[in-house]
Amino acid sequence: MTGRLGSSLLWIYFVLMVAFLFLPLAVLVLFAFNSGTTPTLPIQGFTTKWFTDAFSNTDLTSALLRSAAIGVLASVVATALGIMAAIGLNAKRVPGEPVAIGALLLPLVVPYISLAVGMLILLQALHFKNALWEIALGHAVIALPFALLVILPRLRSLDGSLNEAARDLGASDFAAFRLVTFPLLLPALLSSFIICFSTSFDEFAIASFLYPSGQPTYPVFLYGGARSPAILPQLIAIGTLVIAISLLIVGLSELGRRWAERRIEGRTSASVDVSSADTLATT
Amino acid sequence: MSRSTSRRIGGQGLWVWPPVAFVLVLVVVPLVYIALFSVGLRSNIPGTKTAFDLSNWKDFLFGENNPFRNLFWHSLLITVLVSVAVTIAAYPLAYFLSFVARKNRYTLLLLVLAPFFTSFLLRVIAWQIILNENGVVNSFLWWAHLRPQGDSVTWLIYSNFSVALVLFYSWIPFVALPMFVVMENMDRRLLEAAEDLGASRFTSFLKVTLPLSIPGIIAGFVFVLIPTTGEFITPLLVGGPESQLFGNQIQSFFSDSPDWNYGSVLAMTLILLVLILMLVFGRFLSADLRRPAAEVS
Repeated sequence: MTGRLGSSLLWIYFVLMVAFLFLPLAVLVLFAFNSGTTPTLPIQGFTTKWFTDAFSNTDLTSALLRSAAIGVLASVVATALGIMAAIGLNAKRVPGEPVAIGALLLPLVVPYISLAVGMLILLQALHFKNALWEIALGHAVIALPFALLVILPRLRSLDGSLNEAARDLGASDFAAFRLVTFPLLLPALLSSFIICFSTSFDEFAIASFLYPSGQPTYPVFLYGGARSPAILPQLIAIGTLVIAISLLIVGLSELGRRWAERRIEGRTSASVDVSSADTLATT
Repeated sequence: MSRSTSRRIGGQGLWVWPPVAFVLVLVVVPLVYIALFSVGLRSNIPGTKTAFDLSNWKDFLFGENNPFRNLFWHSLLITVLVSVAVTIAAYPLAYFLSFVARKNRYTLLLLVLAPFFTSFLLRVIAWQIILNENGVVNSFLWWAHLRPQGDSVTWLIYSNFSVALVLFYSWIPFVALPMFVVMENMDRRLLEAAEDLGASRFTSFLKVTLPLSIPGIIAGFVFVLIPTTGEFITPLLVGGPESQLFGNQIQSFFSDSPDWNYGSVLAMTLILLVLILMLVFGRFLSADLRRPAAEVS
């Protein structure tokens, strides 16, 4: 449907675009191992000094740990609420469905800066001091729509008769959920957890308003450190690690997707294509 | 558990309410507080008399040459221009993936999306390193003797250019995605029919593919427009005093100034803008949770 010239031009465009998209990541990797003290050309030499420096910088490592803890808490809360919302929306009759859907998707569109200042003034009105758990709850609510958008399609694709069979065999609603539905949902729950965690781990607006003084999260520390030349190389080194881990997870989930596709292949190959596009669409 | 089936299903539907309550407490109540602040019914300064008062809104909306209103229009212009540019740049990418790279399209799509899965903040910092006065581009020019040492290209950073470039960069993968999904669901027989009826490749693109991909184009445009209206991190890191956006003004009202009431007017304006955009464009966004997955395929 596209001529040979058109195809070639589109290939060139694609390659250039991918290069553009990866350029900043490549720059970070390059300077993570550069022995020069400033990220400028020419490259001075190879070193792993910045990594050892970064790991002995307790301000940096404790910010990382704080963000990891907040991320785990936020993802657990968001995924648990996502399961509840998905089960609710999967029912045949949902009282007040349009309102419920509107509310659940609302965090996707509310600008984070408005949400952040709203939470700030609410917490101040309630005489709450800034705290890390508040950030975790804020992150849970912005991650909830992602959790729902990952879990609900998977729940809908499950064969309802399995659950029915379990109940016919005497399982209670809860036992049927725990023994049948939950294990079948596990891949979706894992994706949900990963997406919620990475949303939280990178979130700056809410954290910058709600962090207790002296206890910045990783993005807040990163933002402050980006202005101080002395620790910039360490931030680049840790940033390289963070990016490498994210890309590794993306790569592994692609392998997982291919593996799953091969297993289902032949049965419904056309619908697999669409559903995997949807999976990507929601990540 | 000897209830009738319809009862039990009704009971399942109730599970939706705890998550909804969570959103109400953490999103809707804060938004209500912003609204109360914006009309003077609450104040952050203890002991201030609070009463219904529209003077901040009047000043923002009608005050002569109000700087915040000017900034709002300036920001909106920048975000619309960036969104248009991103949409135009992402379309050939989606087209390439869906029509040219048939076989490996999901792997190549992932290659486009991969940077989007890495930290946004880190990518903006990387751009700062690239564009800085003594950054990668300038130090390369000095090193290659293309410019005298120490003489940097000044418009590269802390300018509208750098803010627009980084926003453009950040959103391309995300915008290519809805277009790709729409193209994948397109009925290819229509294209074959057009070519069978004698249409040239270009004509069949113009008369069939392009019109059919309009929902994806609009979805992509909205995907970037909505989040960038509140953007403030990019201008903080790569923008100068002249290239700050509306989101930065909100941030500075709440971190540097005691006047949270006026700041709330701006925060509320942003929320209203997004809600209007959702009312206008919402039907093009595919997050329709009511439609069962079985019908999609």
